[in-house]
Amino acid sequence: MNCVRAVKEEQPGDVQPLPGMKRSDKARLWVDPSFVDLMEEDSSAPAKRKTSRSESSRREQKKTRTRRDGSLIPKDWRLQRDQNQAWVDRYCPTSLVELAVHRKKVEEVEAWLRTHTATPQGGVLLLTGPSGCGKTATLRVLAVQLGLRVQDWTNPSSLETSGSQQELRTGGFYSGSQVAQFQEFLLRANKYNSLPMAGGGGAAGGGGAAGGGGAAGAAPHRKLILVEDFPNQLYRQPGALHDLLRRFVRTGRCPLVFIVSDGVSADGGSRSLFPRELRDELDISCISFNPVAPTAMMKVLTRIAALEAGQSVPDAAALDRLCSGSSGDIRSAINSLQFSTLTDRSLPRDRPVKTVRRKTSRQTRETRDRDREQEQSIGGKDSTLFLFRALGKILHCKRDPGGRESPSLPSHLSCHRREALLEDPELVVERAHVSGEFFTLYLHQNYLDFFSRLEDVDRASEYLSDAAALTASWTSRGLMEGYGSALATRGLLHANGRPAAVGFRPLHKPGWLAVSRKLQENSLTAQALFRSFCLTPVTLQTELLPYLAQLSSPMRNQAQISFIQDVGQMPLRRFPSRLKLEMLMDKEPGQLEEEEEDEREEEGQDGAEEGLASSQPQAASSRLLLEDEDLAIEEYDSG
Amino acid sequence: MSLWVDKYRPTSLGKLDFHKEQAAQLKNLVQCGDFPHLLVYGPSGAGKKTRIMCLLRELYGAGVEKLRIEHQTVVAPSKKKIEINTIASNYHLEVNPSDAGNQDRVVVQELIKTVAQSQQIQSSTQREFKVVLLTDVDRLTKDAQHALRRTMEKYMATCRLILCSTSTSKVIGPIRSRCLAVRVPLPSSEEVCGVLASVCKKEGLLLPPELAKRISEKSGRNLRKALLMCEACRVQQYPFSADQDIPETDWEVYLRETANAIVSQQSPQRLLEVRARLYELLTHCIPPDIIMKGLVKELLSNCDGQLKTEVAHMAAYYEHRLQLGNKAIYHLEAFTAKFMAIYKKFMEDGLDAMMF
Repeated sequence: MNCVRAVKEEQPGDVQPLPGMKRSDKARLWVDPSFVDLMEEDSSAPAKRKTSRSESSRREQKKTRTRRDGSLIPKDWRLQRDQNQAWVDRYCPTSLVELAVHRKKVEEVEAWLRTHTATPQGGVLLLTGPSGCGKTATLRVLAVQLGLRVQDWTNPSSLETSGSQQELRTGGFYSGSQVAQFQEFLLRANKYNSLPMAGGGGAAGGGGAAGGGGAAGAAPHRKLILVEDFPNQLYRQPGALHDLLRRFVRTGRCPLVFIVSDGVSADGGSRSLFPRELRDELDISCISFNPVAPTAMMKVLTRIAALEAGQSVPDAAALDRLCSGSSGDIRSAINSLQFSTLTDRSLPRDRPVKTVRRKTSRQTRETRDRDREQEQSIGGKDSTLFLFRALGKILHCKRDPGGRESPSLPSHLSCHRREALLEDPELVVERAHVSGEFFTLYLHQNYLDFFSRLEDVDRASEYLSDAAALTASWTSRGLMEGYGSALATRGLLHANGRPAAVGFRPLHKPGWLAVSRKLQENSLTAQALFRSFCLTPVTLQTELLPYLAQLSSPMRNQAQISFIQDVGQMPLRRFPSRLKLEMLMDKEPGQLEEEEEDEREEEGQDGAEEGLASSQPQAASSRLLLEDEDLAIEEYDSG
Repeated sequence: MSLWVDKYRPTSLGKLDFHKEQAAQLKNLVQCGDFPHLLVYGPSGAGKKTRIMCLLRELYGAGVEKLRIEHQTVVAPSKKKIEINTIASNYHLEVNPSDAGNQDRVVVQELIKTVAQSQQIQSSTQREFKVVLLTDVDRLTKDAQHALRRTMEKYMATCRLILCSTSTSKVIGPIRSRCLAVRVPLPSSEEVCGVLASVCKKEGLLLPPELAKRISEKSGRNLRKALLMCEACRVQQYPFSADQDIPETDWEVYLRETANAIVSQQSPQRLLEVRARLYELLTHCIPPDIIMKGLVKELLSNCDGQLKTEVAHMAAYYEHRLQLGNKAIYHLEAFTAKFMAIYKKFMEDGLDAMMF
């Protein structure tokens, strides 16, 4: 709906500029600050496309986007583009061959699209992967190839909506509810075909011409809804999105594709937006992309370099370094390529040449590292590691058998000799994007599986204990945290003298967090329920409760009885059952909110904190007390 | 039906079952009018609290037994509200300030101030002062203890403090010197037996002296524990037999099994199992230091004499770590791993020596 309106407004502006529409032209200037002749050419090309692809003209503000479906744009026009255009847009893939994505992935997406456009039911697809791995490009190329119209959602900015008079008239009380607009978009895009415009592209117009909703069964829905951008509110309340999706799936008639980049930040991940239960419930297919492989990226970079041959283009070695520096993000790689050619124009070219010469003369590991560092300082992407992989790097303890010779140790210390590490542990912790302490907890939870000898375990556990002791005092914790995690990681690596031959091992989330929370909760509840005994916590928990469990005394109330049964009695079986370990999934961010909780607990280390367990009956008072807990950190700062 | 421990708790200094001499001295102390701050200390289950309540009754009469549980809110200078539970009568206020965590300083100051600022209603017939009873003083932070020192002096006119703790080692010197220290030692084994016998008599039960003896040994002369055990025995089997099983707490059994698991096999996998068991104990509200102590006791009884010093040394080392840090599992596990390594090495050496 929004789109159509936007088109109506913009079309006259493109075809015959009216005085009143000057504003919209001007508004676009920031997008395309190029020369006049180019402007003219520009305005004619999109105008044609717009009439055919009216629904997608929503993207008109983002001109760069629309150019991706280059099949409709003449090739020579593309080549003539001004120099200011980013190479990412100029060389965005237009055919399957140009895609830098693995063929299997493309086929997977294609198969999904084919099956789901054939049936009128539609479906939901979730594409995940790190940023710049070609998710959107793949989808758009496939859409063009399959003759699908892509209708996509962009978060409306308030400026844009208030500028449109029609919006004001119909929407009336527009109050920034992006979610409502999003909902409207989804449901309408699903329900209605776009109006058949004059000169519509063949396949696109065909479905629409049949008209109305009645034709749903007959004509295949050659349309695709794409959502890359979620209204911010949905990040905070994924529930709203889930409800919306449920409605969509019930009435859905065309495929809906979500593209979510997964990063290390805890919010906005596909996990919170699309939890596993929801995926199962709504039968959402999920295709996860991997970072672009170096070979594929190299191919693309070389192609671009060849096309740009007019300018000074970096040599193969430089391209190689760009490749490795971008950690599989092709967008950033192309950007840095363009950037490096820019610098070349103004600066003498001696710098890259020098590094190359150095590299060929001395092929040692250090220079390679230094090269990489250097290159990353120019155009590299800050690479991040998922917690799962970071833990793996430490736990699997990969060493370089042919590493450089270290000075040999005296014979009595020879047991401490280790080969050089493949990874720098501090760097691994840093890239994992969790606090050192938290990382150590994860290590502690999982390290035992990777050790084969008890002596090694002994030493490793000692290091972990040392690391914990280093960060024990809250006054110096900020300072010591780095040392603590370095000690823990290096200690583990060193202690693991003979790693157990393991293949893939599932990793688990630290049990300690759950245990300490449970402990806190239980002791507070115990205090609250058995206050009338006037006992100190320790005697209450170690003497009274266990014996109360053995005495059958009828006078206690229900809450007390259930608590006694829960806490006073221990399951005298071999393996405890209460503690369910949660698996750490690949690409899962650390549980940051739990970490904060943990901080709070540490603060109140001297005794049980105030507050009751929320699971217990005293709801009213507990809410009060829990609020108190929130303030604990502030207090700690001021005090 | 309340527990025997509570039901037969003596209520006056004259009725106390043991340390009668001390009871008499306390009585004299009350009668001579003035009354210093008291620091009552002694092991758990020795009857500190009972003695204090008797003392209060001696001071104020039966009115002190009308207890009410109050939920008080203290506002810290930073506007933070701290909620704490107190037990109070018209004459005294009992509070465990360590419930407030590291905010205990504010709690101590505020509560004492509130109590001290309200005068006794009939000061002519009553004592001039009220009593604030602080339990678990050894768990107070240093901050709070220093605050306490100042508060003690300031409100001397209207308020007396009775501090109750298990040991004085964590109470700072200035407080110790401002208080009259009263140590309440554990009752002797005979005294425990005597109390058990008298309680059983009042309940109309016949307790074989052998069983009483065994209970007192098993409880480690902790009278509270002994009475609880005795009551649990009653639930388990009556009439008593001299050699019946004395029920232990589940966690003690569990801890022993854990120790056995450590001794029976030493491997990373076993350590993983032990960790799960430690977690289980922790979720059942068993404090880490008690786990450590129990573990060491069981392990020491299981290992060879040569290892005992080393094991004890390691235990002390990691117990200290436990006090410093807040993630107990690291240290408990490190101790376990250490013990496993020492034990394994010892066994292997022993095996080698046997073979050659």
